[in-house]
Amino acid sequence: MSKRQLAMVMDLNKCIGCQTCTVACKTQWTNRNGREYMYWNNVETYPGDGYPKKWMELGGGFDAAGDLKEGTIPNIQSDYGVPWDFSFDEIATFDYTKNNPTPAFRADETPTWGPNWDEDVGTGNFPSDNYFFYLPRICNHCTNPGCLSACPRDAIFKRDQDGVVLVDLDRCQGYRYCIAGCPYKKIYFNPKLSKSEKCILCFPRIEEGLPPACAQQCVGRIRFVGFLDDEESQVHKLVNKYKVALPLRSDYGTGPNIYYIPPTEAPAKFDAEGKIIEGSERIPVKELETLFGKQVHDAIKTLRAEKDKRAKSGESELMDLLIAYNHEDMFRLDNNYYQEIAKAKGNANPLAPIDERYVKGKYTTEISHFKAEEHE
Amino acid sequence: MNKMLKIFLIAGLSTASFAKPASAINYTGAISAKRVGNINISTISPNDGVWRGVGATTVILYPQQTIKLNDAKANKLNAANLAKKVQVSAIYSSSAVAFRLVWSDPTQDTLSGIKTDVYGDGFAMQLPVAFSDPKKLPYIGMGSDGRPVVVSLMKAITAHYEPNGKGDIEHQLSSSNTVLFGDELKAYKAKVASTGNIPYVKSFISEGFRSMTEVKDGSAKLGMKMSYNPKTKQWTGVVAKSLNDGTVRLGGHGALPVSFAIWDGGKLNRGGVKNLSSWIAVKLQGKGGDDALVRELTATPSGNATAGKTQVEAMCASCHTLSDAKKAANPYMGPNLKDIGGYSTNAYLAESIKDPSAVVVPGYNKNAHKNSPWYNVDPKTGKRTSTMPPMMTDDKMINDAVAYLKTLKAGVEK
Repeated sequence: MSKRQLAMVMDLNKCIGCQTCTVACKTQWTNRNGREYMYWNNVETYPGDGYPKKWMELGGGFDAAGDLKEGTIPNIQSDYGVPWDFSFDEIATFDYTKNNPTPAFRADETPTWGPNWDEDVGTGNFPSDNYFFYLPRICNHCTNPGCLSACPRDAIFKRDQDGVVLVDLDRCQGYRYCIAGCPYKKIYFNPKLSKSEKCILCFPRIEEGLPPACAQQCVGRIRFVGFLDDEESQVHKLVNKYKVALPLRSDYGTGPNIYYIPPTEAPAKFDAEGKIIEGSERIPVKELETLFGKQVHDAIKTLRAEKDKRAKSGESELMDLLIAYNHEDMFRLDNNYYQEIAKAKGNANPLAPIDERYVKGKYTTEISHFKAEEHE
Repeated sequence: MNKMLKIFLIAGLSTASFAKPASAINYTGAISAKRVGNINISTISPNDGVWRGVGATTVILYPQQTIKLNDAKANKLNAANLAKKVQVSAIYSSSAVAFRLVWSDPTQDTLSGIKTDVYGDGFAMQLPVAFSDPKKLPYIGMGSDGRPVVVSLMKAITAHYEPNGKGDIEHQLSSSNTVLFGDELKAYKAKVASTGNIPYVKSFISEGFRSMTEVKDGSAKLGMKMSYNPKTKQWTGVVAKSLNDGTVRLGGHGALPVSFAIWDGGKLNRGGVKNLSSWIAVKLQGKGGDDALVRELTATPSGNATAGKTQVEAMCASCHTLSDAKKAANPYMGPNLKDIGGYSTNAYLAESIKDPSAVVVPGYNKNAHKNSPWYNVDPKTGKRTSTMPPMMTDDKMINDAVAYLKTLKAGVEK
């Protein structure tokens, strides 16, 4: 467990599945250098197989006794989807004066799966009881990370100052046990480097007081970012005070730190005549219980009670939070906090990323002595 | 010319014709290294002329079973692995040592292109950084506290790129994200390809698996190559290493301890899932000294294995798995001993029974199985203390237990 923990809350009632977060992340981090197939941030449709395909069935995480479970490493063609290139080059050099020119614009792969392959499919019968909602996912920066536990090289670490889980690329040998160990399959193998890579919670941005790119760019303003122990942060209020933000599949035992406001605001179901069935739940609460645990019932109760309260009295702190008035309040990051840590470490440039292990390795003939860290 | 001829004659002695010296050491199980004039570390290859007339010794590499890893597919594929035979030839010069390994592998597995669940075949050589007491060699699983090893590794991985390597950010961009076409695009792709590191040859320094750290400052003088013969379905790997570089201090010895490992990518082998030899003595032909090491590493245990079996089953089986039939009550508590006899020395086994905390490798991730701690760590000193109490103090009991443990090993592949 780290000293402090950064967390993100995503309000699923407001996610419109526009993928702006996905693109923000991709252009910032994963459009190059062997990461092309990776989506550190993706938005999938629930119910659906998700990305990688059927990730919830691929194992990893911990059993009730606290032992790491076996897992399966997804295949790029069938489970992630291969990124393809178009034949731009061929078009540019194609000789159209020749007989029977065929359109030269082609993809160089025939994909069978990809992120968002089953977008908006959902389940049920239209229009009576069909439903789906969007589930944006990033690394959960778990309190007890499955990836970290699975690594036989001590190449994955959890930063003490904010709980961000990172891969030390100098130590990583590309064994991929981390991928089997992560129940969310949010750590990926980079075949170009032969090393594992994952969401870094935009730590170089965080250290400068800026939220992660996915949160900054979100057009629905569904994402809140802050320290869980900071009582002034909206993240703290949503998770700890109102308890309406819940971790995804906490039954995997990793202690995820990305929290979700469950989707409660779906229209009611219709009967055979197309009339509204009053009080019906289009999104089955049972499904929400699978994703967010039993606490989802209390969270739904609180959300509805506060909504009523707001409607009647015009006042509700919780509803005000969820309206997401301004970014300054939604993102409570502390640039000064990181600068102080940098100073204490004698780092000349206070804004440089603080964990030197990640950016610069130990190029040394000295033996790096392994320090066993006690995990709680 | 005369001198050259002499060297050639000494070098011409093969393993088979190696004459027993007066001290009557039994060299069975040891590798005999032929003296050559010069080993060119950077250009060494399987077909190098230096290998001419060098005999080969069969070394058995046993499946490593120490800890249970969490890849479901790999666990299934490797559950019933057999030991593998590797033909090892050895040469040495005044400053370097080189080995040629030949082993069979039904498939040539190479990690190339954009793949997430493919693993390359590979091989490695392990040397201690230094050694003096043959009874206190580093732990075979990549060394132990205060007994570091240097591992030289080669994997069949076509091209890999260093993260942040060479400070070249521009060429990290995927070619489809550039604005280039035609010849410019071709030039770009060629430049990207040229920044890749080929082949995948690495040197690591380690004090127990998990502490393994890559040597990146060029201080390891190392050359490795591997090639696959699809007709014979055999890999041939060669490794040459300086005996005195920034990583090891092994010059001046008459014999060296060495161990080898091979990985079968087709069975998803990587890291700990591999076949591994015990410490093998390499006698440097024509050089005196280190007879004690050769004796130690070639000795057959003196104890009574039958008596040892009774003791070990009674005292050890609650925490250690001894065979597929004798599984530990708690599979995560102690290292699996199913193949321990294949890759452990007599001295290591005796030491670990007598003083379990003498060698405690940081191989186990405390977080993965928090209710089954192999060891505890002093938060002040960082010293690891084994959860296992000293089980036997009587030398006869220990010898019997060692004799039994040495019999725990997988059968050998034909």
